[in-house]
Amino acid sequence: MTSKPDRVDAVIIGAGASGAAAAKVLTERGLRVVALEKGPWRTKESFGGDELANVNRYNLWPDPILNPRTSRTSPDVAAEIDPFCPVPQMVGGGTVHWQGWLPRFTPNDFRLRTVAGDLPGTTLADWPISYEELEPYYDAVEWAFGVSGQAGANHFEGPRRRGYPCPPMPQSRYAEKFHDGCAKLGWNSFPTPQAALSRPFNGRPATVVSAFAQQHGDPTGTRSSALNVFIPDALATGRYELRPESYVRELVLDDRGRVKAAVYEDAAGVVFEQEADVFLLACGAVETARLMLMSTSARFPRGLANGNDLVGRNVTFHEYSASVATFDDPIYAWAGGGYVSASSFQFYEHDASRGFVSGGHIAAAGVGIPLPINWGLPGKPTWGAEAKQVDRDYFNHSMAVAMVLHDMPQHDNRVDLDDTVVDAWGLPVARITLTPHENDLAQGRFLVDRCGEILEAAGGKDVTKVYAEKVTGNCSHQHGTARMGDDPDTSVTDRHCRTHEVDNLFIVDGSPFPTATGANPTLTIMANAWRVAEFIVTSKGNR
Amino acid sequence: MNTHATFFNEHQRATVEAAMARIIPSDDTPGAREARTVDFVDRYLSGIDYIYALPDGTGFEQLEGRRAAAWQQRVDLARSKYVVGIAELDRLCLEQHRSQFVDLEEHEQDEMLRRIERAGSPEAERAWRDTPAIAYGGPVEPALQQTNAEADMDFFNLLVTHTRQGFLADPIYGGNKDQLGWQVIGFPGPAGLAEVHTGRYSTLDYFADNRIHRGQEDNDDQQA
Repeated sequence: MTSKPDRVDAVIIGAGASGAAAAKVLTERGLRVVALEKGPWRTKESFGGDELANVNRYNLWPDPILNPRTSRTSPDVAAEIDPFCPVPQMVGGGTVHWQGWLPRFTPNDFRLRTVAGDLPGTTLADWPISYEELEPYYDAVEWAFGVSGQAGANHFEGPRRRGYPCPPMPQSRYAEKFHDGCAKLGWNSFPTPQAALSRPFNGRPATVVSAFAQQHGDPTGTRSSALNVFIPDALATGRYELRPESYVRELVLDDRGRVKAAVYEDAAGVVFEQEADVFLLACGAVETARLMLMSTSARFPRGLANGNDLVGRNVTFHEYSASVATFDDPIYAWAGGGYVSASSFQFYEHDASRGFVSGGHIAAAGVGIPLPINWGLPGKPTWGAEAKQVDRDYFNHSMAVAMVLHDMPQHDNRVDLDDTVVDAWGLPVARITLTPHENDLAQGRFLVDRCGEILEAAGGKDVTKVYAEKVTGNCSHQHGTARMGDDPDTSVTDRHCRTHEVDNLFIVDGSPFPTATGANPTLTIMANAWRVAEFIVTSKGNR
Repeated sequence: MNTHATFFNEHQRATVEAAMARIIPSDDTPGAREARTVDFVDRYLSGIDYIYALPDGTGFEQLEGRRAAAWQQRVDLARSKYVVGIAELDRLCLEQHRSQFVDLEEHEQDEMLRRIERAGSPEAERAWRDTPAIAYGGPVEPALQQTNAEADMDFFNLLVTHTRQGFLADPIYGGNKDQLGWQVIGFPGPAGLAEVHTGRYSTLDYFADNRIHRGQEDNDDQQA
């Protein structure tokens, strides 16, 4: 027996960064919206300073027993269970536990195919939209969030209509070392734009600078996140109905081939069919592709809006790796959680003389999660007297300079459905098939070498370079599984992130990104969701 | 709520305590023994009543439904690894030294722990062969972002992981007695979970003396 709640203007599947941004815009512009969120709706009272629970015990990360994924390095080998590229599945999504590095992409990110030319083995593509088209929405998100940063400090950033709403966050010791090193080398550095308030903003108090930040929810509610900003804004309209623990299993079509309803199951296992005029997918690039592939029909036997078999393909994940070093003077890399940082785009833009395409964001950080349990130096013993000595000598005297690797899109790197493994609800899980391109590895080595040079210039000792030898999904960043483009033969959505084949279906997470870029994607994901939501509102009367 | 729930029998507990004391030894500063890491793991293995502390520090979350089932599965797996692992360790010690692990000298205990470490992990075995002086212990490259899943660990690596967790987790979980572990490594942790929960815990004192980023003063005119 299936229940049918009242039809609404829009259904958004997912209430994380992109779904919440779209919800704010749609509801503030008068649409009635139902959000179907697979995970729970947790409030700040349920978060705490507990490294064991949050980093080691899946308090916020998806529990791999309930929500497994599988991965393999080629179609010829068996996939193994692997929590590949996890993101918290709950209201607020990844923004619940992030430290929110929010750099903008640069103008060339939107035309890298033109800038860099063809790269054999990849599906490198220009975006169908430009930096200039997105700029108003970058500005909108930055000012909704109260991003703390410094306009003009990043010499490689594109034009912006105004500065940041809040000055940079206070300078951590690891940020200071980073600036020192870059200055000695003559490289540009800047305070990392951050989803936190350096001063009271918009009725919200300044962010409490705790050690329990990265990978921890915020018990004070003072960090900037979808949960703390967009969700309250959407709720305040009275037009946003947020249904947590509502797991969408399938989108079903009407007789004209448009999406008619989202079929979902609540916590008690009751199945509902929610109808709406438009549907927005906001599950993250892995889960969005999975839901589309699970939604098969006579019209779309290979999955929803997947006539050209591109859904799930061209997936990109970044990779986070670093050089690490020790210092004589204390760094206290856990201060602020290890990621109240400084950054450089010195090696971000494409430069053909380097012998590889593109580059990435470099920034200061703690070593891994620089909290007591999970801190550790690469290559050092993990037990015994020597290990204890390493802990005593270096826990407070070490840091990393890390890079975000811009991995190239490839046709055969993909998300599809595993043919044997199911989740705790009995549904097939996402299977990731991924081989890094040689460009990824060369770029990673180059960037990690530059990271090491910054540490050395800053006076770091015992510099250890940890090269990215493969893409493991360790950033939680995910893009490309429904790439946008003007040509329906080579893309899944159009420039408005509307699927070419189903005109009331939009995708607002990272899935439409044709390239990963070398920067943290969530600011751009939210700005793009805002842009798409405005398009939905303004075009509503025309359909 | 029973705050003294346990899993080990007396011999298992003594064996784990002795092994943990070699993983984080006591020297001029406290080690695993003083921080009571064995209490931490004994409580973890007791069931699913101590998985998540309440964030205000007043107790523990009662798990339900699928989450409870997943944790029961995880704890059951860890229990079996400990039971089998302890028995196997003793079997090897009897074979080699004609004594159980707890009765060996410390240097003999270290040798036996290294032996089960190498036996459980081809990576560790390889690392030991290549550079025995430095490369023992766990994965050679630590994860830089996310931690390894417990389910994939053998007994020895689970023991190392739990020792570290018991030494350095919030004391509410039964180890890190009197914050001894935090004191050893120099972490000025909160007085308790409540201090973080209420927003009183700040690490701003440990930021740079100059809180203003390099170059920020020169560019203030660019701020809107």
